[in-house]
Parts: sequence; C-alpha cells; structure tokens
Amino acid sequence: MVTFFLASLAVVAQAAVAVAAALGIAGRWSAGARRAGARLRAAVAPDALLLALAVAVVSTTGSLYFSERLHFTPCKLCWYQRIAMYPLVPMLAVAVWRRDAGVRRYAMPLALAGGAISAYHVVVERFPSLESGSCDPNNPCSIIWVERFGYLTIPTMALSAFALIVALLLAVRTESEAS
Amino acid sequence: MTEEQPETRRRFPVIPVAVAVAVVLAVVAYVASDGEPDRPERDAVSSEHTEGDGTVEQLEQVRDVSFTGNALPDFVRGTPDAAVGTPAPTISGQSFDGEEVTIGGAGSPQLVFVVAHWCPHCQKEVPVIARWMERGGPPDGVELRAISTAVNPDAPNYPPSEWLDGEGWAVPTIADDARFEAAQALGLSGYPFFVAIRADGSVAARASGELTVEQIEALVALATGAT
Repeated sequence: MVTFFLASLAVVAQAAVAVAAALGIAGRWSAGARRAGARLRAAVAPDALLLALAVAVVSTTGSLYFSERLHFTPCKLCWYQRIAMYPLVPMLAVAVWRRDAGVRRYAMPLALAGGAISAYHVVVERFPSLESGSCDPNNPCSIIWVERFGYLTIPTMALSAFALIVALLLAVRTESEAS
Repeated sequence: MTEEQPETRRRFPVIPVAVAVAVVLAVVAYVASDGEPDRPERDAVSSEHTEGDGTVEQLEQVRDVSFTGNALPDFVRGTPDAAVGTPAPTISGQSFDGEEVTIGGAGSPQLVFVVAHWCPHCQKEVPVIARWMERGGPPDGVELRAISTAVNPDAPNYPPSEWLDGEGWAVPTIADDARFEAAQALGLSGYPFFVAIRADGSVAARASGELTVEQIEALVALATGAT
C-alpha cells in the first residue's frame, strides 16, 4: 500500500513538472502560455518552499521505509541520492521557518545533483551493462526492487521528487522579485 | 462618505489542494492494494511446487553444501587467471528438490554456471543458455552444472527455483548454502560466473558477466581441450 501511495505521488509530481515545463517552453513563443505560466507561478510561489519541504520529507520517509521496513538494501547510487535528498529536509525546514527565499541558491545544486544521479540510476536499471558486464556480489545498482505502473522504480520516484523540488524552487520569489 | 476598498484576488488554495490530493491518493492506494503487503511475507527459503501429475514436492532454495580440495583464488577480469591449471574443488550439494549434484573432480569435462536470482545479467543469461541447450547444447561427454547462490527472499525474482523452472532450465543445479560457500569455492567475483573444468578436474578457464553462445562454446572447447 505504501509503495502504491509513493508511486501515485510520483505520478502527480511528474504531471506537475510536465505542466510547468510545458508552460515554460511554450511561453517562449506564446503570450498565452506565458500568462498561464505567470499565473501558475504566482499561485504556487507563496507556498513553494513549504511544498518543496513536503516533497523532501515524503521522499526521505519513503527511502527509509524501503530500506528499514522492507529491507531493500540501498546500493551505491541510492546512497548518493540520499546524500542529496536528506539534507534538503532541514535546509528547507529552516528556510520555511525563516521565510528565506534565498535558500534556493543552496538547495538547487543539491536537487539538481540528486536528479542527475537518479536519471543515471534509471538508465542503469534499464541497461545494466552500463554499470558493469556482471553483477557485483555486493548489491549492484541495476537491481529493480520495486516496479509500479510498469515503469516506476525507486530511482524513478526519486527523479520525480528531485524534479518537482527543482520546479518549486524555481517558482520561489525572492524579495526583489516579489517587489 | 465611502471608502474605496482595494480589489483583492483570492489566492488559489495550493496547500489545501495538495493535502486533498495526498489524502485521495492514500485512500486510492489503500483500496487498490486491497491489503496486499508491499513485500510478500516469505518464510525463510522453502516453498512447495506442484508437479503436473499433482504431486507436491518441497523445494529448498538454500541447502547444505560441502567441498574438498582448495578454494580457487578470486577471479579478476582482465588479468591472467591464476586458477587455470589448478585442481578445481569438488563441490557436493543438492538441487532445490534434494537430488544430489556434484561439481568438479576427475571424470568428464564440465561447464559450471553460477547465477543469482536477483541479478539482471543472470536473468538475461539464463534464457540464452536454456535456448542453447534446446538447440543441442554442448557436445556429448560434456556435463553442464549450475549453482544458484546469494539467495535473498527480500530481493526481486525470488524464489530461484521458480525462476529457473520458468525458463526451462534443465541443468543440474546446486542450491548453495546461506554463506554462498559453493560459489566462493570457485573464486566468484561477479554474476553470472562460469568455470570450465577439464576431464582431469583442473580449471580450464573462468569468466564472469553475460556471455554469448559463441563465448560459452569457446569455454566448452577449452574444457574439452578442443582448442
């Protein structure tokens, strides 16, 4: 049930990122898309940090659920993604508390790095030979522990979360932007 | 006297909507999963298998193994293999259903496959070997043997007996013990792993990773001394 729930949240995250990306790209040519993008950002911006924090909290909890409750052993790439995701929780929590939009300068590199690692991990899952020609006896990264809806693996969920955090951080308005 | 109120636009309730979406998804997840656990509860490493004639046999995914002789040094890809020419250990064990299986020792040339059920490379290699065997496999006199090792009930594609059966696996296979002693005795360094053993019981070659049928046949040729 929890895995289904996390996978469903990942689908919602993907949809949200896809809408934001589509409006951002279409806005380069279409005034209507630009206005829609601006309205979306205006609606999300005041709560963007809180939402990003929620995404980081759910992702961190989910990752601990997989390893500590279901006993799925994290591989090397999983650990790199954890290194990127876990610090976002206290970082964004403090930013929400202090209403510090400047946090995006610090959170964005972590989210981008985590997303890049997740993307590579997704490719390794589909093409195990990229990692190595054989399985490392000590927990290779090509093992697919979970697969929901035919494509959602743990790194795919992580990639969705990182992408949504990046999108939300882009929506955050600094004081100078707000004025 | 009237005071003009500035026009205020109502903010879109982002947080309530996000919470509502999460709650709806949680309910959908609860209903859709219908009490199914995220990970099937597995009782250690045994299971039952019903044969076509209705008989039920007890399958053990992990069984005791023993070996005589010296364990081979760890295989390192891309370096000269120090095990070549040395005697392979003689490994005695049982298949999932309890049949005695022996690997190594003087007698016939052997090609040994070591596989792990959760390894994606093994999942690709096993069908290759199974189809090769269907087309005739090795020449007469060459014995094929396998070891199912690193069994982990929490890992994907469990149990290995079901996986191999589903692939039409016809190779006598030892179910390795919980300490992977059979695999380690062969100096395994990655899955899948191959050991070609000559008729005199010495190691002809070792390899790891996915191999093509041509590469497997080259190992067989080394075991038989045909090259």
